[in-house]
Amino acid sequence: MCTPVKGRGRVRLNVGGRMFETTAATLASAGRDTMLGAMLDAAWNNSDCTVAADEEEYFIDRDPDCFAVLLDLLRTGSLHVPPHVTDRFLCREALYYGLLDAVRAARWGPLDGDRLCLAASVPGTATGDGTAVRAAPDGGLCVAHGGAVRVYNWVLEERRPVNLHHAPVNDAAYLDESTLLLAARDRPGGGGGVAAFSALTGDLTHRYRVSHDRQVRPFTPGALAFDPHRGNIFASCKGRFNEYGIGVWDSTAGEQVGFLYEPPGCALGDADKLQWIDGTGTLMAATMFPRTDSSFISLLDFRDKNGVAWSWSDVGTPASSMEDKHVLHAVAMDDGQSLCVINQYDDLGFLDIRSSGNASGGVRWRSRSKLAAATRKKQKRNAPPQRAHGEEETCYPKLAAHGGQLFASTGDAISVFSGPDYVLTSTLRGSDGAGAICDFSIGGDRLFALHDEVNVVDVWETPPAPVI
Amino acid sequence: MSGGGPPRKRNFKIDVFKHRVELDPKYAERTWKVLEHAIHEIYNHNASGLSFEELYRSAYNMVLHKYGEKLYDGLESTMTWRLKEISRSIEAAQGGLFLEELNTKWMEHNKALQMIRDILMYMDRTYVPQSRRTPVHELGLNLWRDHIIHSAMIHSRLLDTLLDLIHRERMGEMINRGLMRSITKMLMDLGAAVYQDDFETPFLEVSASFYSGESQEFIECCDCGDYLKKSERRLNEEMERVSHYLDAATEAKITSVVEKEMIANHMHRLVHMENSGLVNMLIDDKYDDLARMYNLFRRVSDGLSSIRDVMTSYLRETGKQLVTDPERLKDPVEFVQRLLNEKDKHDKIINVAFGNDKTFQNALNSSFEYFINLNTRSPEFISLYVDDKLRKGLKGAAEEDVEVILDKVMMLFRYLQEKDVFEKYYKQHLAKRLLSGKTVSDDAERSMIVKLKTECGYQFTSKLEGMFTDMKTSQDTMIDFYAKKSEELGDGPTLDVHILTTGSWPTQPCPPCNLPHEILTICDKFRSYYLGTHNGRRLTWQTNMGTADIKATFGKSQKHELNVSTYQMCVLMLFNSTDGLTYKDIEQYTEIPALDLKRCLQSLACVKGKNVLRKEPMSKDISEDDTFYFNDKFTSKLVKVKIGTVVAQKESEPEKQETRQRVEEDRKPQIEAAIVRIMKSRRVLDHNSIVAEVTKQLQARFLPNPVVIKKRIESLIEREFLERDKADRKLYRYLA
Repeated sequence: MCTPVKGRGRVRLNVGGRMFETTAATLASAGRDTMLGAMLDAAWNNSDCTVAADEEEYFIDRDPDCFAVLLDLLRTGSLHVPPHVTDRFLCREALYYGLLDAVRAARWGPLDGDRLCLAASVPGTATGDGTAVRAAPDGGLCVAHGGAVRVYNWVLEERRPVNLHHAPVNDAAYLDESTLLLAARDRPGGGGGVAAFSALTGDLTHRYRVSHDRQVRPFTPGALAFDPHRGNIFASCKGRFNEYGIGVWDSTAGEQVGFLYEPPGCALGDADKLQWIDGTGTLMAATMFPRTDSSFISLLDFRDKNGVAWSWSDVGTPASSMEDKHVLHAVAMDDGQSLCVINQYDDLGFLDIRSSGNASGGVRWRSRSKLAAATRKKQKRNAPPQRAHGEEETCYPKLAAHGGQLFASTGDAISVFSGPDYVLTSTLRGSDGAGAICDFSIGGDRLFALHDEVNVVDVWETPPAPVI
Repeated sequence: MSGGGPPRKRNFKIDVFKHRVELDPKYAERTWKVLEHAIHEIYNHNASGLSFEELYRSAYNMVLHKYGEKLYDGLESTMTWRLKEISRSIEAAQGGLFLEELNTKWMEHNKALQMIRDILMYMDRTYVPQSRRTPVHELGLNLWRDHIIHSAMIHSRLLDTLLDLIHRERMGEMINRGLMRSITKMLMDLGAAVYQDDFETPFLEVSASFYSGESQEFIECCDCGDYLKKSERRLNEEMERVSHYLDAATEAKITSVVEKEMIANHMHRLVHMENSGLVNMLIDDKYDDLARMYNLFRRVSDGLSSIRDVMTSYLRETGKQLVTDPERLKDPVEFVQRLLNEKDKHDKIINVAFGNDKTFQNALNSSFEYFINLNTRSPEFISLYVDDKLRKGLKGAAEEDVEVILDKVMMLFRYLQEKDVFEKYYKQHLAKRLLSGKTVSDDAERSMIVKLKTECGYQFTSKLEGMFTDMKTSQDTMIDFYAKKSEELGDGPTLDVHILTTGSWPTQPCPPCNLPHEILTICDKFRSYYLGTHNGRRLTWQTNMGTADIKATFGKSQKHELNVSTYQMCVLMLFNSTDGLTYKDIEQYTEIPALDLKRCLQSLACVKGKNVLRKEPMSKDISEDDTFYFNDKFTSKLVKVKIGTVVAQKESEPEKQETRQRVEEDRKPQIEAAIVRIMKSRRVLDHNSIVAEVTKQLQARFLPNPVVIKKRIESLIEREFLERDKADRKLYRYLA
């Protein structure tokens, strides 16, 4: 060390016996809310002895190898992990310093459907088919398997599974990264309903009840949705005594704030998908084949007395149409102006929701050539004797919209559509031989695809930007 | 201590390592003692001896070894104990020092809380969310709230102190605003509910009773202007108070308290206050007071409407007096000038004091519309006012000033319901101006026509414009006539003919009088010239409208040039051949209608200084037995003598009736046309709807009388334009 100039703001750290020298600014960049930020704060350094700041040495009783990685992260903003530092090790140390969020942010970039890489596969150990996968806001996930939900943190370590008296789970939703909402089927003797759990500990924290005429009644919730701005929880409900409709609860108070009874001609209690559309302040409720013979999609405005602000149904579509198209899944696009739907031939169609009133069968189906790449594969796979016919049937295509891109699961792949016209730009094909994708979910800048056959969840991430 | 930080830290660390045994039951207790000691040291301002890393690690270890609950509970009870201590020391503070002490302790608690949170950061990140407990910082605030703010000895004392300080400030004392700011900020930091329940709500209640009392006191002893000044000052003080040391959200609440207590509750009394209320402000043009009233009343509901209502009824009352006062009706020009002055005055008030509020402008307009139309002579007077201005009033005035005056007149014109009456009068007055060459400025005349045209449309002014065209063509015709016929004419009298298109001018058919021979000759020459150049036309002499310049020689060979009307000229020419004539003779020779003749003789014989004729017997009025003589002794200082015609500038009662009748007559075809237009498009309509539609269509010109409309409908039914529906008698059908 032959630097005669003692730089101002230099800090010497002794971490587990190894010396590190850095600047106060580098450590402060971690933020006041971290261990390093607090340690250097003036409140802890106004000691009486007037030793020059750069003479002082801070001792930290932690592992130096891992500290080196984290210091590098603070210096450069990027994460470089040597092979001998395991994820678990790194995370434990990062949690100690309060740098876990910084580590996660450096691990993967903002989700871009065209740059996704398969980062990991989480093997399933549960018996029975996975029914749904949900992404947590922080990059964790949960998988619903029959009567239980398996919960994983963002390092993909499994936490305690969650169950509601082991009643079959219809849907799950994250209210925030530590709160998981479950919708489980009602059974004689009780057990079903909607309940919130701690995603961290798996403890039941609150049950959301439905009252009709001030009497609490059992019900089977179908799909869940959450409006984070008003804190409202929505669930499609089938009451045991035929009270069909959409239940609304306040997530903080935990109390029921409304129940929209199904008006005649509208299928709401059966809805398999609910989605809160922020721009319009409405809730999309979609009831689709094969649960019912016809598909019914509506937008519900709870500020309006009437409730149903817009609706579409394929009942009464002209019989002359060449093919019998069933809408199997629907998603509201980010712009809040249209819905995308998909049928059993993997055709995409669009519905304009800006036009008020009832849209009479006005789906603009896209030419099938757009999906050709994805479909061809599927047909090829279907060509051999109908080996897995039974399982095949349960995997209906699913849709998701994120960041102006449209994602559609078809067979064992996910197609990504981009641009204003949603042209096919990428196809994601994950674990080999894992079977068709029965559900996928996007959240925390990750995409999780649940494969039907071997219960494996593929984790897709956008890698950090290249160095140059 | 003298060894400095690092060595001590190392010693301690080694200590911990030695005894670090996973299942040692005393481990947790010992670690907690270290942390508890640290928390006390932090509160004792003795933190410099503490090692952050070591404390952080201790807390980390406790959480890691599942002693999170013990750590959290320990923190809660230690902090509670400290806060109870603090509470005692605050309670002990005497009088004025109470707030100071509270503030100091609050600052210290905040700092300590930050440091404690630093140490327990790991617990805050992991144990707290997992066990769903209150985060450390929030816990610290909650405990402060429960043990300090809500403690029995402090709670009411704090509130009373704050309210007392504010009261003292209202009474003019200086208080420590910085300290107030810190204390209210503390309440806000503890949560909106604390600030509202423990300070804001009582503050608003106390303020309401304060201002209720004060406003009562003010209203008893102040006049309206002073009261408003005081209210305004109070309002500003409260807003300033909020900006200095209260939450911004309080502003709306406290101002609404002041507004309610000081303004809304006394609104009626203020507006109607004897000798100083709104009406007096309006009369005395108190712009500042009016503006203040406007700005204060605007803040309360119904405030502006109460001002507006009083102003409107005041305007209507004074306006009604103005237009119905018989004294004022004597001079039409003065009458209109007063209206304009009144309008200017209130325009200025609305502009200066009421921020050009549209609703006030509307109230002003509707008031004027109301009272101007109370007097049926308003259209005539307005036209006379314009006549006066265009005759002489505008002489020498700059073009812009002319425009300003005309614009103001147009404003009054807009208020008129009977615009067609105005048109009638305007036509008459314009004709007189044009024919007598009295108009001052052609530009001003035309500008007025343009304004009427933009206001009422092409139809309204087409005849007026026709009059101007006639004047121009007449001029050209006369030049041409003299150019072509000058040698034929010799040196007889000069003739200047205005050729008036029938219909454009307000002419009444009148029997032509007998013109003197000399005039008749040249008239016939002109007639043959004119009919020679224009085919298929008819010329009728309007002898009642012409003028003549004649030369007369009196007694001592005094020569005068007399400017007289055509009738007067005819009479005077008779005296060329004789000295005396009886009334009957004159009437017989000239065939001038009796009424006109009497007037013209009156002006020739009875006006002092212009009596070129002598009447026997001498009297003011002309009777049919009178005899007239050429007045040889006529003298005048002037060479040119203008003999006016005795004619009222204002219309006489019968003339007024006549004009009114003509107007009514003119309205009939307009109403009929409107009915037919409406029925043609609607085919079937009931009576009331027709009346409503007709009124709507015609209101730009006049307000049709429903009775007249009914008569017109009946007339149209008679002429088979319409028929009554056979089933429903109320319905009319259009017959194509």
